[in-house]
Amino acid sequence: MKQTSATFLQNAHEAMLQPQRSVNRQQLGTMMPQLRDSGVASFGDFDALRSHVSEVRTHTLDHLDHYLDSYVKQATQNGNEVHFARDGDELNRLVSDICQRHEARKIVKGKSMVTEETALNDHLMAEGFQVTETDLGEYILQEAGETPSHIVGPALHKPEAEIRDLFLDRHDLGDRELGDAAALVAEARGLLRQRFLDADVGIIGANALIAESGYSLLVTNEGNGDLCANLPPVLIVCTTLERLLPRFEDAMDLLRLLARSATGQPISCYSTLYSGPRRDGEEDGPLETHIILLDNRRTDILASDYREMLHCVRCGACLNHCPVYVAAGGHAYGWVYPGPMGSILTPLLTSLEASHDLPNACTACGRCEEVCPANIALPDLLRDLRQEEFLTQLTPRRWRLGMRAHAWLLTTPGLYRALTTVAVRAMTWLARGRGSLHRLPFAKGWSTARDCPAPESATTFMHQYNSLRKSRHGR
Amino acid sequence: MDDNKGAQSIIEARVRTSSRRADPRDIAHELRAIGRGPAARSRHRDTHVTFLANVLDNHGDARGVENRSGAVACIGDYVARRFGRRKVVAGKDARLAALPWREAGLLPRFGVVDSGDKVSVSYARRAIAETGSIVLESGRDSPVSNSLLAENHIVLVDAADVYDRLEDAWHSGNTDSNRPRCLQIISGPSSTADIALNMVYGAQGPKAWLVILIATDGPGLAKTARDVAAIRARPGARS
Repeated sequence: MKQTSATFLQNAHEAMLQPQRSVNRQQLGTMMPQLRDSGVASFGDFDALRSHVSEVRTHTLDHLDHYLDSYVKQATQNGNEVHFARDGDELNRLVSDICQRHEARKIVKGKSMVTEETALNDHLMAEGFQVTETDLGEYILQEAGETPSHIVGPALHKPEAEIRDLFLDRHDLGDRELGDAAALVAEARGLLRQRFLDADVGIIGANALIAESGYSLLVTNEGNGDLCANLPPVLIVCTTLERLLPRFEDAMDLLRLLARSATGQPISCYSTLYSGPRRDGEEDGPLETHIILLDNRRTDILASDYREMLHCVRCGACLNHCPVYVAAGGHAYGWVYPGPMGSILTPLLTSLEASHDLPNACTACGRCEEVCPANIALPDLLRDLRQEEFLTQLTPRRWRLGMRAHAWLLTTPGLYRALTTVAVRAMTWLARGRGSLHRLPFAKGWSTARDCPAPESATTFMHQYNSLRKSRHGR
Repeated sequence: MDDNKGAQSIIEARVRTSSRRADPRDIAHELRAIGRGPAARSRHRDTHVTFLANVLDNHGDARGVENRSGAVACIGDYVARRFGRRKVVAGKDARLAALPWREAGLLPRFGVVDSGDKVSVSYARRAIAETGSIVLESGRDSPVSNSLLAENHIVLVDAADVYDRLEDAWHSGNTDSNRPRCLQIISGPSSTADIALNMVYGAQGPKAWLVILIATDGPGLAKTARDVAAIRARPGARS
C-alpha cells in the first residue's frame, strides 16, 4: 500500500468534497458510539474490566521475553511451524515460500491488518498467486481496487449503490438485479463459498496469542476467518508479538472488551481458538499450520516511551468517536491505520517524516481516550509526537518561530496581559457590535471557512475576574 | 530456515532488552496477584434463563425441551417448517447417534457437511450464559465444517453443561497432550453490516442458528427467557 500520509490535509480536503461518502461517515460517527454505549452499559463495571485488562497487558509487555518463549514452545509442541519476520518483506517472503513449497495457486485470506501493513496481497499476486479477500468489506475493496477506510468496517465509506454497480460490473449476474443489501451479500457469499472450497492455502490474523497453551484467537462476525482456517489444507497465521496474553482467561477478558468497544455486541459471533494442524481422526481442518510473528518496529516501540501503544486491541472505537476521522474519513490518513490510533501507529511503524501531519489531526477533545478499551492515553501520545515533530524541525520554520514566541510570551505575564488587552479591544472595535468577525488579521487560513465570535466585553477575562473579586471581597 | 533462525534470535534479543528478565516464579506470582477481571452483569438469577435470553439477543432462536425426544421433535418441526424435508447432517457424536431420530421422521447423515447441505446438528460441549454462546471442540464427533457450511445450524445443549462465565469455555480436562485443535465459541448466526451498516445474516456461514436446551423444565425456561429478552431489544451493527 503506497503511503500518502504526507498529504493528509489535501487528502482530507478531497474526502470532504464527496457528499455521499460524508453522509456515510456521519452515520458511522452517530450510530457506532450509540451502539458502543449500549454495549458498555449492559456489561456492568466496564471501567473495572478496562483497568484489569490494562494491568494484564502491562504485565505481559514487562515480561514479553518470558511469554514469547512460552508461546513459541507451546505452539511448536502443538504441531505448528513458528517463524519470525523482522519486517514486511520478510513476512511476505515467508508466506510465498510456504505457498510455493505446496505448489499452491489459490489463496483465501481473512481480514488481517498485519498483512495490509506488509502489502502481502500485492506481493503474492506479483508472484502469480490468486488471492481472494474473504471478509465482505475487504472483498468489495479488492474488487474495487481500493484500500480500507476503517479497521473494523473497511468498506463503510462506500454507499450501497456503489457496491451494486461494482458487482454488476464485475460479476456475471444474468438477470439478477441485486435490489438490496441482502441480495448483495448473497451474491458475494455464493462466489466466496466456492473460493473457500477451492483454496490451497488459508491466511488469517490473530486477535490474541495465548502463551500458556500456544493457541491463537480469531474473532469475526461473518465466520470467514474460520472458513479460511479450516477448509484449505494449509493455514498461515500472520500476527505480531504484542498480541500475546498469558492465559486463556485473559483472552476471554479481551473478548469482553473488544466486541463491546467495536460494535456494541457482548461478543462477536465467532471467537475461535486454534492450536495447530488436524488431529488423528479429524475429518476436516488444515494438515499443516504456520505462525509468522512479525516485528516491523514493534520492538522499537517496546523500548520507547510509546510502549503503551502496544496495548491497542484494534477495536476502532477511537475512530468512531473522533471528529477528525468522521469528517475526513480513513483514506485521508494515507496508510493502513486511520484515526487517533493510526495517527500514533503510522509515525511509529513507518516514519514521522512521512506522516508528521497525522499527530496534528486532533482537536484534543479527548473522546478517544475516554472510550479506548485499553485505557491508552491517546491525546498524550499525540502531543508527544507533536513535540517530536517540533524538535526534529519537521514543522515549517514560521510555525516554529511562532511557537517559540508564544512560549516566551506565556512566561512573561506582564507583556502577555498587555498584548491580550490590546487584542481584545481591537477585536471588539473590528466587530462593531456584529457579534462575530468574518476576517482576522494573521489568521486568513482559519477564518476562510468560519467566523470568529467577537469578545462579549472589551476587557480581558483576567480583568473581569479581578474586578468581580474586588467588588465581592473588597480586595 | 537459517535466515529465519537469525530473525528469531534478533527479535528475541530485542524483546529481552526491553523486558524485566524476572524469574518465572516471580512472574507467575505477579500474574496471580492481578486476579480475575469482572464478568458481564447477569440478566436473570437462573443461569439457563440468562443463557437463552442472550442467545435470543444474539439473533439466535432459543428453545427449551424436557428430554432428547423433545429435542428431536423440535428439530423435526424446525426442518419441516423451513424446508419441508427431513434431511439433516450430524457429526459422529455418540450423543447424536443415540437420539431417537425416527420419532420425528428425520433422516440424519453422520459425518461432515457438504456445501449444499441445508441443516446441520451439533451437540455442544458447553454453553456460556454470560454471552449466550455455545462451545464446540473440533474432533471426529464435531467437524468444524458442520458449524460453518450449512445454512442452518442447530445446537443441542444439556442443562448441566451451561456455565456462567466465558472462562468456563475452557475444559479443565484439556491437558497439554489433550488439547482440541479448534475451540469455537459461537454466539449467533454469521452476520455482516459491511454494506452501509445494513445488518444481513448468513454472510458466509449459517443464516440461522437454533439452540435447543435440554432441561427438565426446558419449555418454562425458554418462555421466561423470551420475556427477559423482550425487555432489551437492541439495534445491531457489525462488520
